[in-house]
Amino acid sequence: MLDMSTKVDPMTEIRTPKMAAKDVNVFYGDNHAVKGISLDLYRDEVTALIGPSGCGKSTFLRCLNRMNDTVATCRVEGNITLDGDDIYDPKIDVVQLRARVGMVFQKPNPFPKSIYDNIAYGPRIHGLARERADLDEIVATSLEKAGLWNEVKDRLDSPGTALSGGQQQRLCIARAIAVNPEVILMDEPCSALDPIATAKVEALIDELKGRYAIIIVTHSMQQAARISQKTAFFHMGDLVEHGDTTQIFTAPKEERTRDYITGRFG
Amino acid sequence: MSNTRDFEPTDWKSPEMQARTRKRYRRDRTFRAMGFSAVILAGLFLVLLIGRIFQDGAMGFMQTSIDLDVTFSEELLGDPRAMDAEAFEEQVRQANMSRLLDAALTAQFPEVTSRRDRRALIRIISGGAREQLRNMVLETPAIVGTTKTVRLLAADDIDQLRKGKIDANEPEANRKVKDQELGWYNKLVEEDRVSLNFHTRFFTSGDSRDPELAGIWGATVGSAITLVVTLLIAFPVGVLTAIYLEEFAPQNRLTDIIEININNLAAVPSIVFGLLGLAVFLGVMHLPRSAPLVGGLTLALMTLPTIIIAARASIKAVPPSIRDAARGLGASPMQVVFHHVVPLAMPGILTGTIIGMAQALGETAPLLMIGMVAFIVDIPGGFTDAATALPVQIFLWADSPERAFVEKTSAAIMVLLTFLIAMNGLAIWLRQKFERQW
Amino acid sequence: MTSAAIFLTLVLLAFIAFVTVRQRSLASVSGDTSKLHSLPRHYGYYAAVCALIPGLLIFFVWVITGKNIIEGLVISGLPDGLSAQYQEQASLVLNRIRLAVENPASSEKHPDILAAAQQFHALYVRGIWATFVLAVASGVGGLVFANYKTNPDFRARNSFERVLTILLILSSVIAIITTVGIVASLLFESLRFFQQVSVVDFVFGLHWSPQTALRADQVASAGAFGAVPLFTGTLLISLLAMMVAGPIGLMSAVYLTQYASARTRKIAKPVLEVLAGVPTVVYGFFAALTVAPFFRDLGEAIGVEIASESALAAGFVMGIMIIPFVSSLSDDAITAVPKSLKDGSLALGATRSETITNVILPAALPGIVGAFLLAISRAVGETMIVVMAAGMQPNLTANPFEAVTTVTVQIVALLTGDQEFDSAKTLSAFALGLALFLSTMVLNVFALRIVRKYREVYD
Ligand SMILES: Nc1ncnc2c1ncn2[C@@H]1O[C@H](COP(=O)(O)OP(=O)(O)OP(=O)(O)O)[C@@H](O)[C@H]1O
Ligand SMILES: [Mg+2]
Repeated sequence: MLDMSTKVDPMTEIRTPKMAAKDVNVFYGDNHAVKGISLDLYRDEVTALIGPSGCGKSTFLRCLNRMNDTVATCRVEGNITLDGDDIYDPKIDVVQLRARVGMVFQKPNPFPKSIYDNIAYGPRIHGLARERADLDEIVATSLEKAGLWNEVKDRLDSPGTALSGGQQQRLCIARAIAVNPEVILMDEPCSALDPIATAKVEALIDELKGRYAIIIVTHSMQQAARISQKTAFFHMGDLVEHGDTTQIFTAPKEERTRDYITGRFG
Repeated sequence: MSNTRDFEPTDWKSPEMQARTRKRYRRDRTFRAMGFSAVILAGLFLVLLIGRIFQDGAMGFMQTSIDLDVTFSEELLGDPRAMDAEAFEEQVRQANMSRLLDAALTAQFPEVTSRRDRRALIRIISGGAREQLRNMVLETPAIVGTTKTVRLLAADDIDQLRKGKIDANEPEANRKVKDQELGWYNKLVEEDRVSLNFHTRFFTSGDSRDPELAGIWGATVGSAITLVVTLLIAFPVGVLTAIYLEEFAPQNRLTDIIEININNLAAVPSIVFGLLGLAVFLGVMHLPRSAPLVGGLTLALMTLPTIIIAARASIKAVPPSIRDAARGLGASPMQVVFHHVVPLAMPGILTGTIIGMAQALGETAPLLMIGMVAFIVDIPGGFTDAATALPVQIFLWADSPERAFVEKTSAAIMVLLTFLIAMNGLAIWLRQKFERQW
Repeated sequence: MTSAAIFLTLVLLAFIAFVTVRQRSLASVSGDTSKLHSLPRHYGYYAAVCALIPGLLIFFVWVITGKNIIEGLVISGLPDGLSAQYQEQASLVLNRIRLAVENPASSEKHPDILAAAQQFHALYVRGIWATFVLAVASGVGGLVFANYKTNPDFRARNSFERVLTILLILSSVIAIITTVGIVASLLFESLRFFQQVSVVDFVFGLHWSPQTALRADQVASAGAFGAVPLFTGTLLISLLAMMVAGPIGLMSAVYLTQYASARTRKIAKPVLEVLAGVPTVVYGFFAALTVAPFFRDLGEAIGVEIASESALAAGFVMGIMIIPFVSSLSDDAITAVPKSLKDGSLALGATRSETITNVILPAALPGIVGAFLLAISRAVGETMIVVMAAGMQPNLTANPFEAVTTVTVQIVALLTGDQEFDSAKTLSAFALGLALFLSTMVLNVFALRIVRKYREVYD
């Protein structure tokens, strides 16, 4: 099991990746969806995954918390580590892994429960709160961090599904935060939102980036440029280029990357 | 918890957390096991049900016979060579065949002399044996005057004894076959005169009060006639309704009402359809009681929703492009539907119809209401003859006190299930053969 | 002359119409079909329809009303003494007349009845011949009409298709007619019942013994038709059935949708379907022959007295019967829960069972409630299992080890065997039928509404 100290020296932490993928291949039956991708993901950084539709961004993202396990036809090869431990090791505990690597989906998917219970669900199942007061505090801080507290603090008992789309998405982010993850995966979190809600979520991501390693899939170049420090460009299952966001957007090394970000295809 | 937890990752490796996680997995496994046992339990019930029926029913297709040396006495039957055929036939029909049996049994058991014992003795042979002997004589008149070893059906108690359903070791008071009969039986067994044979009569005769004579042919024919009526009514009406609702109906109140109606009808208990049949077909229209015609009509109303729903689904599955193509060739809306859509939807419609027919075949309650539950010996020959149906026959036999009817009931159930399996198999085959991905 | 003969004659006439008019349409353009507005066979179809429909209408009017009208005539023609008796003795006289008609050699001696029977027979023969003549005449008329209309400009196809449209509409209306027929016949007979027994006594009475109410002086005696024991019996058995089918059906659905591999599903689903396809009479036999004695012996072994016909046995077997019903409807409800909810829960690190119990089942709850309601309605209306295994004693009890009786059992008991129309005993079956129909209808409408509302949420 994991035996690394949880208190990492801030200096070395920059250099050791939070998560590292090495030569990852993913197959859906015979469909080779992700081809030999290696990528390091760091704490304190937002990494954006961009690329045309169907290029394997979501597939790769879902490997990072083993959500692909729920797809019967899906097969993952290669090596992915979290703090140096292989997450596909049979000894690893998926339940704990997913608590450490949270996920936010493209479409807001609040549970048909109250706002409070939506947030409290994760801490409850993981036993993160000993008493009701602890739980109340987790709910409050999570909502605060997600920038939703002021909007919902008076109606924590109303159903989460009754919120607006943008509020729902922030609720889902709060829900992910509530289990105290170390990494947050976001799959096009703003694609179902209007510009104002999008701006709020982007601000939130910016706010959160100091505390978590964040990996975000997006179709919006502007968004990637605005919020990410690192960008990875996927094309047809390949990782074409990976580097600092500014470099990718100003001086891409690969022609395919240039074509894509200038809108020539995709 | 304090604000520092922002920067403190949860300690997943603490013993408490590890134990907690293990407990959660255990709960998940328990839950999964509960689900699995639910499925297994359902399967087990099925196995138990079918197993029990087969265990009982297998013997229902067999019947015990006793070989007796019967002398076809000329004195009783007349001489076929000396009289004309009609007179001979008449005499044979009038003749008391019990006397042949009596004589044969006396030859077999000369020690039985008292009248009472001899009456008990003749009761080890089925009441149908007389008819059997008479038919033999009518078929081959030359038999008269000879002595033949004839295989005669045993009475139901002897049959049960032979099959081990009656335990010879029980005290006599608890046993239907008394010691005396047991002695005769054992003697017959010693002489190798008792045999267990496949019982064709079960498939060829109508109902009877005697288990060894009862058969399912009458009920099978009754079911068949009933289903023909059901099919003739329910299929066209169901398909036409489906066509109307899918292809022509305007979106209005009437259409809505029809749709709601059909869905509700599908959930009306079958016995209510029986009450409808009783009140309308018998009460108002004065159609004959116990007739397959009435049964068929009643079941048709009952199956109608099934057929309509299935037909609508398969008509809906025909892609609009086919309609457009046909319309582009100048076909009228009717022609589009009847020449193009319906033929393509036909496999699905037929599948639904067969499933509906299978339901109708297994249905009992409505038939009880309209009197198809009488004791009917004759094989029905038409739509208005008194008849019964297979499931009703099962119900009637299940109600009979005779022990031997238990296996007959199970055997009849096996026949009914065979029909149902065949029909559903046909439906599945149709669906698979013509399944189309548009 | 028989009804069947009339019908066959009409069909033959329609065929003749088809052939002749088709020929005629061809002849009118001397074989050049392009000059015809419609195809020759459309002219033929149109003619067949013209020949068949009016005759068929007349035929059906005869089949449905003929005997009733004749009976009315015969009754009104009866001598006063008899018709006075008729007023009193319900349809007894009519039955005797019918018997005398059907079986001339019967033991009927009453001269008035014999005369009435003869009159009936004569009227019947006259009626059926009149129907025959009318039907055939109208058929021939239709043929002539179609023949007359046949010319190259006649839009035969359009006219034929109009007729077809009407036929389609008529077919669809049959579903409505069936419902109306059910409601009307149940209501009509029930009203007659409630003229003899008060509604209050029926709905709230605690004592059910229609067999003893046969004697005239007891018909009105309160209490003989108290249906409460039947309602409680039905309820008890349905509850027992749901206690078996609810957990097993729901857990099977959960297992098959959430845990099972595709292969397991492929095996288990047909098993459940077979369970659903077994006729209820088979379940009834199984209950009476195997399960009831098993429970009785089991009770003996542990010192509980369980009747050989017990609510327990019937309810248990009915539960087995309903398992596939519950499981397939729950399956639908569970699969309708969006996958995103399940993913959301799993992504938080919930185990599968936590996801199921905390997210999926609550989300599917309305659908599952609907499924359970539909299953209860099925149990309430089920007949054969209870007829064969629950017994006939109208016990007012909540003890599952005793024999109870149900609404459906009593309907069967009242209407099979010797029965006479118009007696309170017979009519009470229709009142029970009405109660059954209404309760299942309410359950269904309610269940379907819940299910539909719930579908809308996720669509
Ligand atoms: N559950 C699945 N089963 C089978 N194939 C899948 C599944 N999910 C994705 N795929 C296939 O894997 C490939 C990559 O899909 P993926 O969803 O990762 O693309 P994406 O980059 O996220 O696209 P988008 O931007 O449209 O979300 C596609 O070819 C897709 O068809
Ligand atoms: Mg994607």
